[in-house]
Amino acid sequence: MTFTIFLEQIINGLIIGSMYALIGSGIALVYGTMRVLNLAHGEFYMLGGYFVFFLAVTYGLPPFLAIPVAVVGTFFLGMLIQRMTIHYLLGKEGWMFSTIAATLGLSIVLQNAALLLFGEQFQSVPYYLDGMLEIAGIRIPYQRLLIFVVALGTIGVMTFVLKKTRLGWAIRATAQDRDAAAVVGIPAQRIYLITFGLAAALGAVAAAMLAPIYAINPWSGLPILLKGFVVVILGGLGSFPGAIAGGLLLGVVEAIGVQLTSSEWRDVIGFALMIAVIWWRPWGLFGKKA
Amino acid sequence: MSEPLLTVENLNVLYGDYQVLWDVSMQARAGEIVAVLGPNGSGKSTVLKAIMGLAPAKSGRIMFEGRDITRVPTHEMVALGISMVLERRRLFSAMTVRENVLLGAYHRSAGKEAKSRLEWVEDLFPILAERRDQIAGRMSGGEQQMVAIARSLMSKPRLLLMDEPYLGLSPRIVKQIAGIIQRINQDGVAVIFNEQNVQLSFGLSNHGYLLEGGRVVLSGTGQEMIGSDVIRRVYLGV
Repeated sequence: MTFTIFLEQIINGLIIGSMYALIGSGIALVYGTMRVLNLAHGEFYMLGGYFVFFLAVTYGLPPFLAIPVAVVGTFFLGMLIQRMTIHYLLGKEGWMFSTIAATLGLSIVLQNAALLLFGEQFQSVPYYLDGMLEIAGIRIPYQRLLIFVVALGTIGVMTFVLKKTRLGWAIRATAQDRDAAAVVGIPAQRIYLITFGLAAALGAVAAAMLAPIYAINPWSGLPILLKGFVVVILGGLGSFPGAIAGGLLLGVVEAIGVQLTSSEWRDVIGFALMIAVIWWRPWGLFGKKA
Repeated sequence: MSEPLLTVENLNVLYGDYQVLWDVSMQARAGEIVAVLGPNGSGKSTVLKAIMGLAPAKSGRIMFEGRDITRVPTHEMVALGISMVLERRRLFSAMTVRENVLLGAYHRSAGKEAKSRLEWVEDLFPILAERRDQIAGRMSGGEQQMVAIARSLMSKPRLLLMDEPYLGLSPRIVKQIAGIIQRINQDGVAVIFNEQNVQLSFGLSNHGYLLEGGRVVLSGTGQEMIGSDVIRRVYLGV
């Protein structure tokens, strides 16, 4: 019996970890491509959550329609906000610090805009699927299985885009050497814009899947951002596959840790793991030593 | 005489407050090899970067095939027919050899011909086909330079800029690269390259420029320049 519970927790850890992976991979994509540490990444998660809430609850769209529309909407919103803010800082003197300050400011502005527009009440979205899967005494709600499937699908699509498409090649080339990319005809500014939009969209996918479990409110981005940071530090800052592995690992370690202690320790466990990694392997568990 | 392919007129380039190029003027004709010579810090790299749009011109004019390209952004140069091999290769080091080479044809203007160009560069550098799946960053310096040159040729340029193509390479590889530059040139591509070594520079070129402290102090044919007193003064301090 205890073993079953233990296994259930590990599976739960993987499921939550797949969401951490989505959030971390957005941060990693932006950092890896444009060397910008996006402190407003959590706010795109928050806005994505509101998008889903309004479409699915207020307007009553079915989830399979509401979620893609919300994700695409967040993609364009991300590009719009990038174009209006950090676009002007990139490449200018001191841009590495000015972009951190700008995204911090952006995060505060977006939180307060959400508070003003959507109010302070916590919103939630009903479960997309009811019922439970039961195999050999292990019980997994279909809702959580759906989370995992969507996360894997999204990661698969992103990997395909990065590896096999013209856009993906351009993103990877720009990330590795911006000048060399420009020389072969890749417009860095446009790549930065699209990358930022993609990262925001990844946040929105996570928000859509977690909306039935965690309430949406103007401040829901911050804890997500912190999780995302732990993930990218585990995986090696700027590495997309590292963020995926880091996310899954964090989910499982948290789940096991909570089993051994109690749920108040969840964040402590995550951050302790992060500090240990910074101590022993500052380039990340899956990153390469610079 | 035919219209020059590239004309640089009174080019001034500053990095911050520091002026690197002072009223630099030079020319390259179609099918020519031009050497830009100069000691360290003379600004010879900056000339090439300015032509490619990687170093912004403060004043002056750069004309290519009768068109003012002074303010054209770098990523549009390949579409006009200019390509560049950057200093120290600058490959996409985590990507494979094949990916690096194909990225040379990234621009839509080159996309259609990518396949036939790939065959052409693989014929020029057989090693590209042999090592197509190797990660570029793990190759030797000379092999990387071949990948970098192949990448730059994928867009079918009429003008190729090569920033220190011999830097850090063994004499044997240098000879090989020099042969390749000649072969590229025989295919009708004009080449402008820079180099510190006098013999290396003028052995290959039709025409050369000597830079000192960011100014052109001498220009002429290779033979004229090798015998020049100015060369002796700049290099030997006599």
